[in-house]
Amino acid sequence: MSQTYRINSGLTDDSQKFNFTFNGKQMQGHAGDTLASALLANGQHLVGRSFKYHRPRGIFSSGSEEPNALVQLRSGAAQEPNTRATVAELFDGLTATSQNHRGSLENDLLAVNDLFSNFLSAGFYYKTFMWPAAFWEKIYEPIIRSAAGLGSLSKLEDPDSYDHGFLHCDVLIIGAGPAGLSAALAAGRAGLRVILADEDFRPGGRLNAETHEVDGMAAADWASAAVNELAAMDNVNLMTRTTVYGAFDHGVYGALERKTDHLLSSDGKPRQVLWRIYSKRAILCAGSTERSIAFANNDRPGVMLAGAVRAYANRWGVAAGKRVTVLTNNDDGWNTARDLQAAGIDLAAVIDTRAETTQGLTGVRTIAGQCVADTAGRKLIKSVTLTGGETVETDCLAIAGGWSPNVHLTCHQRGRPTWNDGIAGFVPGGDLPVGQHVAGAANGTMTLAAALADGRAVANAVAKELGATASRKAAPKAVDEAADITAFWQVSSKKRAWIDLQNDVTTKDVKQSNAEGFRSVEHLKRYTTLGMATDQGKTSNVLGLAVMADASGKSIPETGTTIFRPPYSPVPIGALAGRARGKDFRPTRLTPSHKYAQENGAEFVETGMWMRAQWFTKPGETHWRQSVDREVLATRNSVGICDVTTLGKIDVQGRDAAEFLNKIYANAFAKLPVGKVRYGIMLREDGICYDDGTTARLAENHFVMTTTTANAVVVFRDMEFARQCLYPDMDVHLISVTDGWAQFAVAGQNARKLLQKIVDPSTDISNEGFPFMACGEVTVCGGTPARLFRISFSGELAYEVAVPARYGDSMIRALMNAGEEFDATPYGTEALGVMRIEKGHAAGNELNGQTTAQNLGMGRMVSKKKDSIGSTLSERAAMNTDDGLRLVGFKPVDPSVTLSAGSHFFTKGATPNMDTDQGWMTSVAYSPMLGHSIGLGFLNSGSDRMGEQLLAYDALRGNDCEVEVVSAHFFDPEGKRLRD
Amino acid sequence: MTDLTLTAAATLGGFAHDFSGTTLTEITPLAIVAAAIPQGDEKSAHAAIKAAYGGLPTPTETHVSKDGKTRLVQVAPDQIFVVFGSDTNQANSEVNKALKGTCYTTDQTDVWVTLEISGPNARAAMARICQIDLHRDAFPINTAARSTMEHMGAMVIRTGEDQFQLMSASSSAGTFLHAVETSLKNVS
Repeated sequence: MSQTYRINSGLTDDSQKFNFTFNGKQMQGHAGDTLASALLANGQHLVGRSFKYHRPRGIFSSGSEEPNALVQLRSGAAQEPNTRATVAELFDGLTATSQNHRGSLENDLLAVNDLFSNFLSAGFYYKTFMWPAAFWEKIYEPIIRSAAGLGSLSKLEDPDSYDHGFLHCDVLIIGAGPAGLSAALAAGRAGLRVILADEDFRPGGRLNAETHEVDGMAAADWASAAVNELAAMDNVNLMTRTTVYGAFDHGVYGALERKTDHLLSSDGKPRQVLWRIYSKRAILCAGSTERSIAFANNDRPGVMLAGAVRAYANRWGVAAGKRVTVLTNNDDGWNTARDLQAAGIDLAAVIDTRAETTQGLTGVRTIAGQCVADTAGRKLIKSVTLTGGETVETDCLAIAGGWSPNVHLTCHQRGRPTWNDGIAGFVPGGDLPVGQHVAGAANGTMTLAAALADGRAVANAVAKELGATASRKAAPKAVDEAADITAFWQVSSKKRAWIDLQNDVTTKDVKQSNAEGFRSVEHLKRYTTLGMATDQGKTSNVLGLAVMADASGKSIPETGTTIFRPPYSPVPIGALAGRARGKDFRPTRLTPSHKYAQENGAEFVETGMWMRAQWFTKPGETHWRQSVDREVLATRNSVGICDVTTLGKIDVQGRDAAEFLNKIYANAFAKLPVGKVRYGIMLREDGICYDDGTTARLAENHFVMTTTTANAVVVFRDMEFARQCLYPDMDVHLISVTDGWAQFAVAGQNARKLLQKIVDPSTDISNEGFPFMACGEVTVCGGTPARLFRISFSGELAYEVAVPARYGDSMIRALMNAGEEFDATPYGTEALGVMRIEKGHAAGNELNGQTTAQNLGMGRMVSKKKDSIGSTLSERAAMNTDDGLRLVGFKPVDPSVTLSAGSHFFTKGATPNMDTDQGWMTSVAYSPMLGHSIGLGFLNSGSDRMGEQLLAYDALRGNDCEVEVVSAHFFDPEGKRLRD
Repeated sequence: MTDLTLTAAATLGGFAHDFSGTTLTEITPLAIVAAAIPQGDEKSAHAAIKAAYGGLPTPTETHVSKDGKTRLVQVAPDQIFVVFGSDTNQANSEVNKALKGTCYTTDQTDVWVTLEISGPNARAAMARICQIDLHRDAFPINTAARSTMEHMGAMVIRTGEDQFQLMSASSSAGTFLHAVETSLKNVS
């Protein structure tokens, strides 16, 4: 097929021929074509099937308002459904396919739906697919979903990448048509920082589609000259292929820039960038969208908007038909007739619904005071029948039903547009988003000279508001074209007359919805699907409202519009996600010994954003338990080393630091001696325990607090709040040092011997010189500054030694070298967990945001002698009953049984339910020291029930076992080992 | 006995790369010491800072000492970062001494990783991850701001015509580098 409908090159570049395929057919177009203009040039009028009735559909418009010509671009994983052919820029090698048909596009089997249209009216599926209920999800929904809908997803991972970004400007101008270019020139000349965004690849808007003159030049040439002037200004950022899709708070706008959609390959660069634009002011110059008139069978291929037919002729040099009929209710429709005649395209007639018009065209038959009542033709319109009964043969019907200002971005913060009878359309009304102005056709200024002047005037006013000096250069000169309109919406018919082409909504559906009592326009929208989905009613909303107003006997302003919400034009999910995919979804934090752990067989686990070694697999070990048991035994029998860098570390300094900590912790800290560490618990305001850890006093006014890994940020934030808001008069200063120190736990009988080789001899770390809970600033390995804490989570003789993080990698290697003679073993979080359960130490499973200090068996730590955060509310009676939950230990009655965390406790023989529930198991582990499974858990009056046997029932995993209540301190209950 | 001397390693191993004329470099070694101003003793603390470094930063403008070796960055109403090139282990005590003990100092050297992005594409790359307006007029040389980039807390300081220093947490340095690197690749 050659370009038989191409009449001239228009604004395309015919020296660059692009080959492309549509449904496998080879076609050719020009650089500067859209897929739609190229399809029309090749005589491909049938491009898709409608949503519900599978009616043949053609190209309806020439821009982003296209409801019909939705196609799939590209193939394989890059396949993109529901792309509007009218905005898809042609490139060499483009492959496009039609969508929503079973069988070929020409012979769609589901076109049978059209014959049963009487059964498929608005709301049919609510009424039809009711019985039996069991069919809803398994039968009806899959059938409806496969029959309806548009394109299909490849279901493969999107091979493209996307990016986000942030831009700033004094003024954002949305739309580079006559008003937008004029505004940008004025704002740019005034020296403002301007962003001019336009969704088209060629700025100019309707200037490229009309035969008007501006400043004595062809409109498109003037647009090019204006773009050149703007491009030369440092203060102007001209963004083409960029759709501003939403107006958000405080002058923030969302915009989608299509970077590589017009290229065969994105070459590893992001395909699209989602911009957040911060503007001081915005000028909306989004123009207007033409609409149709409702009459029977007004949806056939070849039925198009008149402005689009004109645009195809003027901008792309394409005849939309060989014998065109124009139907209009306004003066602008005549411009189409004039331009087509000038381009040598045969005109069958101009039908003006107005009985009287000042317009006329020599050599073209004018039919006034009539409308089209019906059309004929299946895959392309063949003829139209007029209300007077006459039939006119034609292969293209260009409908001019009036222009609707594109007001959506004025409404994103609940602004409601107001009706303007003069243009028969809604114009921006009420409160606009902060800082937003509107100019040109978007504001109801529908003619060229006025739009150019409006853009300049609004930009100059904005310049003044922002304290800049407006340029005195006059507005571009042009003539205001005739633009009278007499609203004409529909011709009544027993047949279907389409309003919303994308969603197959007809005047019948709107009337039926009204008849069934849906009075609110929002209900109409939901019941009929008018104006939904990717289309958002761009060409159909106003017509739909007019038909509804007519049906309900109200005026259009009384009927009102639905709420506008972003995005008005589709934004791919990939663009919204940006880079946040896979491992890039969130940051990864690594400890200083990460590389060492990698080299030594570590299996890592994500704890928050941190990667921590779970265990270190040694050659020959085939199960994680082998590694963990070995690590526990090696630590308990000699010495183990664990990276504990991830614990939160907060430096607390100030004259009132001690008093401040007294407020933060439930237990006393004010009198902690310098050189000592204390374990502390923190309560929320409501008295629930939320974090624990140790704090060391390094000097009179200097403490270092540790928090749990998970709560490091929360605790810091809460302390900062307390500092600034609760105790603003205290001299206390906080700063996180979590990342600054590499910290290692060295635990086991040989811990001291190992550290004596590391800690410089100037520090005496003997049991007497550095007893349990001592701390100090020391030097290690010949002078490197370090901090040493004698604390123990494992229950062993243990220390934590911290060095500046830059020495962390070196330090773990030094510790392992020094420990070689003791067979020192690195251990991970699993062994850490086993040892803390063996010792009955609470961790995240126990500090779960529901438990009190009483529950944890630490009730006496909540000091009554002082006021601290949460202490008052912790005294509530219900939180202090004798029969409340207590943390205790559990062991299986049959030692071969494995306990499971999450089990609930019941009296043996009781039916497990909420009423008989007595508590739950929080943590379990296999204890290599005891040779059986052990658990910690909360049990009603648990501390008084030692030796009792209960049923531990795990409803999720479906198992149960008998357990005995024991002390939570399974191993070394006297705590001798850690004090030796 | 084996050699148990510790050696310092740069967080990103001293990363340096040229992306079509725009460079990305880890600044190392770089000492950072936080100086907190005691409540009620602001006058003497400010005087000591001025005496030591010749001036005070503001919430938006950093102060560079006359010899160009030290930059002061105000990071909170009562907290200043003293940033200077040093590879000793004495940064904290040096600052403490310079300020004559008038402030509470905390060594922050290893808490942060610092990258320098420099060249014609620096702003375009930063626009992909940084919400701050880095336009020449809006963000003059020596301006600093705290923000977030790709979910990571970060500070940005303009240190030259087309040059910025970026500071973020050292534990997520790899992710931070990846974010800046990706931005540079995306705009190169």
